[in-house]
Amino acid sequence: MSALIYTLMLFPLIGSLVIFMMPKSRSELFRPIAIFLSIIPFGLCMYLFTNSQSKGSFVNIHTIDWIKSYGISLTFGISGMSLLLLFLTAVLMLLSFLSVSKKYSESKGFIGSILVLHFAVNGVFLSGDLLSLFIFFEALLIPMYFLMGIWGGENRKYATIKFIIYTVFGSVFIFIGTVYAGVISYGTTGRLALDFVTLSTLTFTAEQSRVLFLMFTFGFLIKVPIFPLHTWLPDAHVEAPTAGSILLAGVLLKVGAYGILRVSIPFFTEGFLEFKFLIAVLSVIGIIYGAIVAIAQIDIKRLIAYSSVSHMGFVMLGISAGNYLSLEGAIIQMVNHGLTTGALFMLVGFLYERRHTRRISDFGGIKATMPKYAGIFLFCSFASIGLPGLNGFVGEFMILMGSFATYKVLTGIGAFGVVLAAIYMLWAYQRMFTGEISIQENKELVDLDSKEMISVVPLLVLMLFIGIYPSFIEGYVTQDALLISEIIDIFSGRLN
Amino acid sequence: MSTISEAIGFNLIVIGPTLVLVATALVLLFCTITIETSEFLKKTITFGGILLTIFSVFLKFGLFLTDGISSYFTEKILLDEFSLFGNVLISLILLFNFSPIWNTSNQLKDKTTEAIILALMSASGFMLMVDSESFMMLFIGLEIGSISLYALAGINRGDLLSNEAALKYFLLGSLASCVLVYGVALAYISLSISGFYDTAIAIPYIGAENVPLTTFIGFLFIIVGLLFKVAAAPFQSWAPDVYQGSPTGYVGYMASVAKVASFLVIARLCIVSLRYVMDNFELFFLAVVIISIFVGSFFATVQSDMKRLIAYSGVIQSGFILSGIVSGVNGTSASLFYITAYTIQLIGIFTIFTIISGKLSSDFSIENLSGLFVENKFLTICFSIFMLGLAGIPLTSGFISKFILITNLWSYESYALVVILMLSTVAGFYFYLRPIWVAAIDKPETPVERITLKRSQILSLSALSFATIYFGLLPNSLINISRWVIQNYL
Repeated sequence: MSALIYTLMLFPLIGSLVIFMMPKSRSELFRPIAIFLSIIPFGLCMYLFTNSQSKGSFVNIHTIDWIKSYGISLTFGISGMSLLLLFLTAVLMLLSFLSVSKKYSESKGFIGSILVLHFAVNGVFLSGDLLSLFIFFEALLIPMYFLMGIWGGENRKYATIKFIIYTVFGSVFIFIGTVYAGVISYGTTGRLALDFVTLSTLTFTAEQSRVLFLMFTFGFLIKVPIFPLHTWLPDAHVEAPTAGSILLAGVLLKVGAYGILRVSIPFFTEGFLEFKFLIAVLSVIGIIYGAIVAIAQIDIKRLIAYSSVSHMGFVMLGISAGNYLSLEGAIIQMVNHGLTTGALFMLVGFLYERRHTRRISDFGGIKATMPKYAGIFLFCSFASIGLPGLNGFVGEFMILMGSFATYKVLTGIGAFGVVLAAIYMLWAYQRMFTGEISIQENKELVDLDSKEMISVVPLLVLMLFIGIYPSFIEGYVTQDALLISEIIDIFSGRLN
Repeated sequence: MSTISEAIGFNLIVIGPTLVLVATALVLLFCTITIETSEFLKKTITFGGILLTIFSVFLKFGLFLTDGISSYFTEKILLDEFSLFGNVLISLILLFNFSPIWNTSNQLKDKTTEAIILALMSASGFMLMVDSESFMMLFIGLEIGSISLYALAGINRGDLLSNEAALKYFLLGSLASCVLVYGVALAYISLSISGFYDTAIAIPYIGAENVPLTTFIGFLFIIVGLLFKVAAAPFQSWAPDVYQGSPTGYVGYMASVAKVASFLVIARLCIVSLRYVMDNFELFFLAVVIISIFVGSFFATVQSDMKRLIAYSGVIQSGFILSGIVSGVNGTSASLFYITAYTIQLIGIFTIFTIISGKLSSDFSIENLSGLFVENKFLTICFSIFMLGLAGIPLTSGFISKFILITNLWSYESYALVVILMLSTVAGFYFYLRPIWVAAIDKPETPVERITLKRSQILSLSALSFATIYFGLLPNSLINISRWVIQNYL
């Protein structure tokens, strides 16, 4: 099992080294090799789905003694939630390699950076202690820096530096929190034991728990992002290249929510109980604010970026409500959002390659020239809105059901986010696809070719699959959600 | 005869590295001024001398294994873990700076070996400084080392900036030396103490509360004199100008060697000599650390000259290192790790600057980096590794050094200090990533030529970047060494 996990984590890194060492003259081979390299992690995830160990809550698989004189070790393990997110990562990596256009696929740096990113993301989801979680969390920034910096849009310098500074500002607090937790653990265990199993046995005082919760959660919330800390996200999404946007929205935003579920809530529960209402309020503000701002956008990529703020607000609402149903919904919604937003960014990327514009008003009536594209876009929009039968409905319904038990008024307000989602997505669809073609260039648009179809259709299949048969994915989040909700129940029972 | 030499503790092995360095410098000087010697021979002599120095450090290590901590030459020279650590580090600094110094000297108008002779002499001085038990030896070593550095800064006589750098360095440096020597005098007249272990014995003997104020002022002056050398704020004002004005090839050496020697002496002073009275200096050190962090972070963000940027980043790093030394014994071991990691990155960065600038230019604007990726990919990758190491990104030695330092500080409950230090790293990400952006991402406006590297340059850059990654992934060896240095004082 440990070999499996290390393969899953290190394979992309080795792959990136292979790519970097290849001669430049064989640039046409980069893409096939990259696709092959990301089929392996995908296959490993599929295999892990059949493994009973990976269905439960977090288990340590392997520990490496790292800094011996301080007693620091790195631990790796897996749980159902991790596996789902690893699967999501593998799918999005594979499809972004499939969809990437020739301009990017012949660049060593681009392919290599994405593979390094894959390594770091896998590291985050597999890490079983605070230190390795932090290391991979921070290591994510290096490939993103180069991806956005070299292959980004016009305003990429501003967006990249904003993204880096925001994230680093948050991760400084995660770092201090890690050190703090380590020192507390040193007092009990005699070594800087930071692995999740040891942490769950430690007892923190109310004061410590509050401080640690704030430190970790602040860092992770920037990454989610929650309402007042979200301003890096639209810039980063718009300026990043298509593959970068897919991975940013699909995977990197999940890292923040994952951290809160994995670290902040289970270990620092007293702090969570104190601040959960604040998080819930901010989430609901985020849901409504993101949706309203999305309505007003004239750039389709920016619109989807703001819709992410709204959707991640739902996830955070579910997490802050903290009961079994809402937590399960939040985890499922994380996967769903990755799939739908990834697909939408991919579609926008296809359109941008054809027309080199993303302004909604530059289109109109292109359903006539691109029927397949329009159909797929509508499908993804419905999934994003939360139409029953598609994946978005499952997650949002569970979140709203669960949260209603805890926060009646807030959830009631948050539910309007679904209505607003219908407005911004369908209105954008209407403006872009329906009606008469008014601009000459749009008459010559070509519909999706087979390569593009292959790269987007698997996402649609997954959306439909989760929408129709949610029990499959639910089976993998049950244990995690149950454990977290039980911890919350125990602590709130003690406090009352 | 033998009894006398035994009585005064005569032992050539203890000052072996210093002697070898001086001898090499003298032979080289002799070759230069008397007989026509080929470039190759001079190079061989120098390189052989440096290798011999490293060998004599090994001999010294053997002596330490048999004798333990002991003093020689009527308690003037000391052999302990700090001095060994300093000897190893200084000789390695010399080894890795040999090629930049030599190549830069070759580009001087009248091809001289002055620079390498000065470098050898200053290394011998700083070695003497870390070896010193008596404060007078400390002063002599510091002066031998510093005066050579003043001359090195001004070696490019035709350049105004270089002259300015030398003059500024000399004037301020002499002032700092005056302060230091005045401190030595005060310590001597108030308590008749003249050495590190002397103090370590005297203070507990008379009791920490009976130590007169004059002694404290004396030690404060000694510390101020040393802090000047490490460019901790508010004693940093010379650093940016000197870095900017001096020929690029020499700055890496100048910056690292003085810092390493002075920090080791400060560490020994804090850990060994002033162990029982460190509380009295805490506020002063805390102020220096915080001012260094603020001044360094604030000025580094607005620099457009790379050498000035590195100078201000050095001010911040000095603050980090100092905070560890002051916090206690474990913190000092973290600081020793930190200073080793930092020195490696510093030398690497200046080696790259030397290659890029290519001539004896003083200014090194951030624009000089543009197009580096086109010029040479290997250089860009090494440069990124060093800069990311300075920023403290995980998987580089910079992260480990920050991590163990912050862990130690937190366990000493210096919470506010930790927050300030960590916030400075956020600013650090801004100004350390900007040069990487210019070097690796920005397209050059004017067409650039490719740079071909010499074998020695590839070798030394590979070694330095490998060390940066290696100590980031497997830091155990260096951590164990840094803990070995302080093991007696735990």
